[in-house]
Amino acid sequence: MSDLLGFVLSGLVSGALYALLATGLVLSYSASGLFNFAHGATAYLCALAFHELHSGFGLPAVPTAVLLVCAVAPALGLGLDRLMFRRLARVGETAQIVATIGLLVALPALGLWTVELLEDAGAPVRPAENQFGLPGVGPSPAVSWQVADGVGVDSDQLITWVATAAVALALWVLMRHTPLGLKLRATVDNRSLVELRGMSADRLSSIAWMLSSALAGLAGVLATPLLGLSAHDFTLFLFVSATAAVLGRFVSVPLAFAGGLGLGVLQNLVAGYAGFAERITGFRTAVPFLILFAGLLLLTRRGRTAGTAVVDAPPVDPQAGLPWSRRWGPWAAAAVLLGSSFYTVTTPFWSGLLAQGLALSLVFVSFTVVTGLGAMVSLAQATFVTGAALTAGLLMSHGWPFAAAAAAGTCAAAVLGGLAALPALRLGGRALALATLALAFLADQVLFQIGWLRNGDTGWPIPRPVLGPLDLNDDRALGVALTVLVTAAVASLGALRASPSGRAMLAVRSAPAAAMACGVSVVRTKLVLFTLSAGLAGFGGIMYASYNTRVTATDFTAMTGLVWLAVVVAAGLRRPQFAVVAGLVYVLVPQVVADHVTESPHLPVILFGLAGLALANDPDGYCAAVPVRMHRRRAARAGARAGAGGGGTDSAARAAGTAGEPAAGGGPLADGRPVAGPGAAAGASRAAPPAGPPAAPPAPPAAPAAPAAPAAPAAPALELLGVRAGYDGAPVLHGVDLVVRPGEILALLGPNGAGKSTACRVAAGLVAPLGGRVRLAGRDATRDDPVARSRAGVLLAPEGRGIFPSLTIEENLALYLPVRDQRDAVYERFPGLAGRRGVAAGSLSGGEQQMLALAPLLQRPPRVLVADEPSLGLAPRVVDEVFRLLAELRSGGTALLLVEEKATEVLRVADTVAYLAHGRVAWCGPRAAVEADRLTEAYLGLAAAARQVPGGTGTVEGQEPGPGGHVAPPRSGDGVRP
Amino acid sequence: MSRPIRTIAAVAAALLLAGACNSASTGGSPDEKGSAVRGVTDTSVKVGGIVSMTTASGYSKKDTDLGARARFDRANAEGGVHGRKIDYLGAQDDGQDPARNLAAARRLVQQDEVFAVAPMSSTTFSGADFLQKQRVPTFGWGTLPSFCGPSYIYGFGGCMVPMPGGTISQTWPEGLKKVMGGSAGRSVAILANDSDAGTFAIRTYRQSFASAGFEVTFAKASVPATSVPSDWSAYTKEILRSDGGKAPDAVVSVMQTPYNIGLFTAVKRTGYDGVLTDPTDYDPGLLTKSATRKALDGVHVLLSFQPFEQDSADMTRFRQDIRKAAGKEVPLNMHMMTGYMSADLFLAIAGKAGRNLTTASFQKAADGFSDTGTMVGDRAEPKGQKESFGCGALVRLKGDTYVVSAPFTCYPPIPFS
Repeated sequence: MSDLLGFVLSGLVSGALYALLATGLVLSYSASGLFNFAHGATAYLCALAFHELHSGFGLPAVPTAVLLVCAVAPALGLGLDRLMFRRLARVGETAQIVATIGLLVALPALGLWTVELLEDAGAPVRPAENQFGLPGVGPSPAVSWQVADGVGVDSDQLITWVATAAVALALWVLMRHTPLGLKLRATVDNRSLVELRGMSADRLSSIAWMLSSALAGLAGVLATPLLGLSAHDFTLFLFVSATAAVLGRFVSVPLAFAGGLGLGVLQNLVAGYAGFAERITGFRTAVPFLILFAGLLLLTRRGRTAGTAVVDAPPVDPQAGLPWSRRWGPWAAAAVLLGSSFYTVTTPFWSGLLAQGLALSLVFVSFTVVTGLGAMVSLAQATFVTGAALTAGLLMSHGWPFAAAAAAGTCAAAVLGGLAALPALRLGGRALALATLALAFLADQVLFQIGWLRNGDTGWPIPRPVLGPLDLNDDRALGVALTVLVTAAVASLGALRASPSGRAMLAVRSAPAAAMACGVSVVRTKLVLFTLSAGLAGFGGIMYASYNTRVTATDFTAMTGLVWLAVVVAAGLRRPQFAVVAGLVYVLVPQVVADHVTESPHLPVILFGLAGLALANDPDGYCAAVPVRMHRRRAARAGARAGAGGGGTDSAARAAGTAGEPAAGGGPLADGRPVAGPGAAAGASRAAPPAGPPAAPPAPPAAPAAPAAPAAPAAPALELLGVRAGYDGAPVLHGVDLVVRPGEILALLGPNGAGKSTACRVAAGLVAPLGGRVRLAGRDATRDDPVARSRAGVLLAPEGRGIFPSLTIEENLALYLPVRDQRDAVYERFPGLAGRRGVAAGSLSGGEQQMLALAPLLQRPPRVLVADEPSLGLAPRVVDEVFRLLAELRSGGTALLLVEEKATEVLRVADTVAYLAHGRVAWCGPRAAVEADRLTEAYLGLAAAARQVPGGTGTVEGQEPGPGGHVAPPRSGDGVRP
Repeated sequence: MSRPIRTIAAVAAALLLAGACNSASTGGSPDEKGSAVRGVTDTSVKVGGIVSMTTASGYSKKDTDLGARARFDRANAEGGVHGRKIDYLGAQDDGQDPARNLAAARRLVQQDEVFAVAPMSSTTFSGADFLQKQRVPTFGWGTLPSFCGPSYIYGFGGCMVPMPGGTISQTWPEGLKKVMGGSAGRSVAILANDSDAGTFAIRTYRQSFASAGFEVTFAKASVPATSVPSDWSAYTKEILRSDGGKAPDAVVSVMQTPYNIGLFTAVKRTGYDGVLTDPTDYDPGLLTKSATRKALDGVHVLLSFQPFEQDSADMTRFRQDIRKAAGKEVPLNMHMMTGYMSADLFLAIAGKAGRNLTTASFQKAADGFSDTGTMVGDRAEPKGQKESFGCGALVRLKGDTYVVSAPFTCYPPIPFS
């Protein structure tokens, strides 16, 4: 029994460290959605800094620790967030995973390099190597107490427990009982809604990164006596604690915390009682990774299983459509040059390096299959390499010829790849990356520890093949042969991509469900991708081993695979030839740096790490960035020549092509008069808006039928003037003018795809217009982001429900109404909410959720409310209530822009009505001027034929506009006049 | 076949043909042109080293370079080898990375054109095959299998990895016998890491200790190999009950320093008062920290060279050489000794080779080379390429110094089965 107690107690020590790291992981993940592989490196950096400041500079332990945890580590987190994480949050998952892997190697190197430089400068630093038994915060050596028979506790353990408990308490108070914590949790729940509510999600995510970094720092300082200064150990520790983060599903801090503690105990119990595993070498070593793997499989929610192609949208391919010679010519020429260089210019040393780089390229090309084509991040490629090379070596030692052994080794790797694909059937994204990493560690620690397979530390000789007169023992001949092999691999992958199977792979990557519906087997495709990639990696590994002429089980470890992936992704995954560049760069750069820049081995490592930083800007890698950037520059030049001003570089070209649109800011806007009126509608269909009769919309609802009486209308609260907007190459709005005045409801009607939601998003600042202006209360707000818009009083109630589902009703209200009295007033008005204030908002019915979203606005009416389909999916009775609420807001002076498809209901409350069709305002006028068939016509986007449609006014919802209808031409503008 | 593929195939065939012609003509043999011997001039011999200095694990053998430099400096001060000064280029850092190890070997041979590589001290030696093929005499720490067998590769203390059909050095159990006053009726427990290397170590030392007369009551490779356990109670409990419910007379750890610190601290906390011993913790740097000093206090450490605490003319000279090379007084450690003695073995054989220094003459001199009474004992080649020289000592950490507990002696090895 005391055994058990002892195991549990001391298991809580590593458990506490796991908990700290896991909590940090969850915080940073929820802040920017990326799994920070470099979290352990941050901890290491703090441990190193603690060692240098405390032992080297002689600063006292506790103040140093406080300084590091409360100031230095948060500053590091803030800096990284600003430089990198913030931008990474907007790129694809592969780039996210890889960028932090770059940091994982770069941060420790940076720390060690700093120490090296300080030492050269004569500072009293201590060497960072061979340091054991380092002092922590407490007394050194640690004081120990015997609690019970066989159960001991020492001061370092005690400090870890106390510090962790204090942090747990502080985090709980912060997250549950402070406004900041509430906002942080809201950000986790719905980042964009947080911005729409006027809170800067960027600032909140900076805070989360600072907290996360501080926790890593604390773990680093506490772990110093245990782990010493081994960056490797800190990283391993982090991977284990990832299990706890998985347990918290990367969002729940308390679960992750508890998971960390439990993990430490579990690990200790297995170590204590795993007598059954004694015959399996490496089993105990592998326990944490077994737990990680099992945890991922069991606990990860089945989500998107293939890649993350939705956010991984392929970039514009500037070379698309070019002839074969233009696309491949430069690469073919490079291959020929490289091949001939072996016999002309390179010295033996550089020939050898080039051959090594080419062999590695074969391995690297395998990444473009599984990660490039399949969008599945595999961190187990090094395992396939080792497996293949060991198999081939084993067989060659039994007298097999090279070709047969290589084929067998490749098959062995393919089988391993098939095994590694099994988790991929269930997992995707970072969970899959972690699972393959766990498998890689398991293989290192168990599979490759099998004596007959690895042959001890000696490994197996892999003599280079001799093919007739071609003796590959000559580096130059090997180089040429590898050039040919690499070219063949690249060419066949290019062909594969263009083949039906390649298209099936891309289909599975972007939409597994749709691919399945088309008869593509997702399971088979994933298996094929993994097997193919593993086989290729294995074959590359055998070639690499034959370059070395030997393979040992420790030549390519899981960590090697991690670095490889970072190097390949930094170059680019979209094309196999980029991987070849990566292979050559990986081998050549360190030698070039050593020759010409510095002898310090840290610099190349830092350079590779910084390549991850570059990913934040060019998520498709530096190779892909070159043609894209050149293309952009060309396009910009072309755009400049075409004389189309304004817009970005891309939009310039577009603007040139669509010059027929009304110029922003021209025509009726010049005289400052509002344009929402028949003139604008007419103008929209013609090239230039005419200066038609000014028809100011009726501002006061009292005089809806008096458009020609602009008697002292209130100043517009929100104006969209000639707004053009769209999404990456797809224009949606072609010059929209809308004006909303205080105390007025402008209903925006139109068919699906007319651009209603885009107009709302432009109004709220979520989409920056390509042209035109947005004015708030007469002030130009075009450049303002959502946060600034929201602070200026514009509130967007987005499509769906504008609530935070994980927060309680009370917390949802508190985000908008910090004062308790105001919340009480809401409860008074809506007693249904009052009874359930502690209930998570996500569990409310749709109608209740919408009421919850709108109710607090009555207490603090915004200047402008932009409501995107507030009645969507609600029961008729609730719809009535919603519209009553909106009308109430209007009488409170709020200007409302109301997007609706339920035209009948909205016409009852609207003061002004605008029809949007094909990104243009087809008609705008007072409600009273709305004619039933005009509504139908505009709504359906039909031409004059629409007049035959029997007068359905509110029943057209859901119908698609006819294919022929380009722009609803107004009937000569007469019907607008009352 | 489409046109592009045909083009590629044609170019590939042409390239391969060119490669075949050229490789056939050069035959891929190591480049030794005419009379000029790589790295040897009338007045100098070029030598370079490979050492793992920076690593992710925080373990470094940096000072190996200093040790080698110290030895070469003295040789040059004494006039060099047969009139040739040693042009020591310093050591390349391989970062414990197999790829960089090979690249460093290639750079030394192909770019810097050294005659020999000394010292080579790392946890990986993937450059071994290349150096052997290029006929580069290489000297280093024989803890890797590559030091056992290849004719151009020499361990400064011999080959320290027991090979099938080879022998096991008995320095550890024999030394321990001196400490414990014999082996009869004494029980030992051996603990290693849960990895193939650990399993191998268990197999070796179980035989070694048993044949010296110890009773091996516990021998397991069960400690996780990738990270140091935060808690040792699971292991200590098993060990301390292994001798029929009692604690064994000696606990033998075949692990690295961080593990030993944890294990020995935990064992001592239970009140264990038997003998503790390991083969890695002879590092005076450990004495500078109170935590390590306390954890390792009383531990007997095995070393395969003469302890710094044992006075001899050689040791005095070693101290002086290191001080001179470092430019200041530095604490000695075993990496310095590794570098120093690697260089020393090279110099001794080169001296025997005579004025006409070529790879062939060097190898000829090595074949049948022997001397006695060095800081690593009695050296002999090619015996050293099959087994270790079999000499060692135990030192005990007491207070804040190491004390010799079993003086440096050579013992006859036993056959490895």
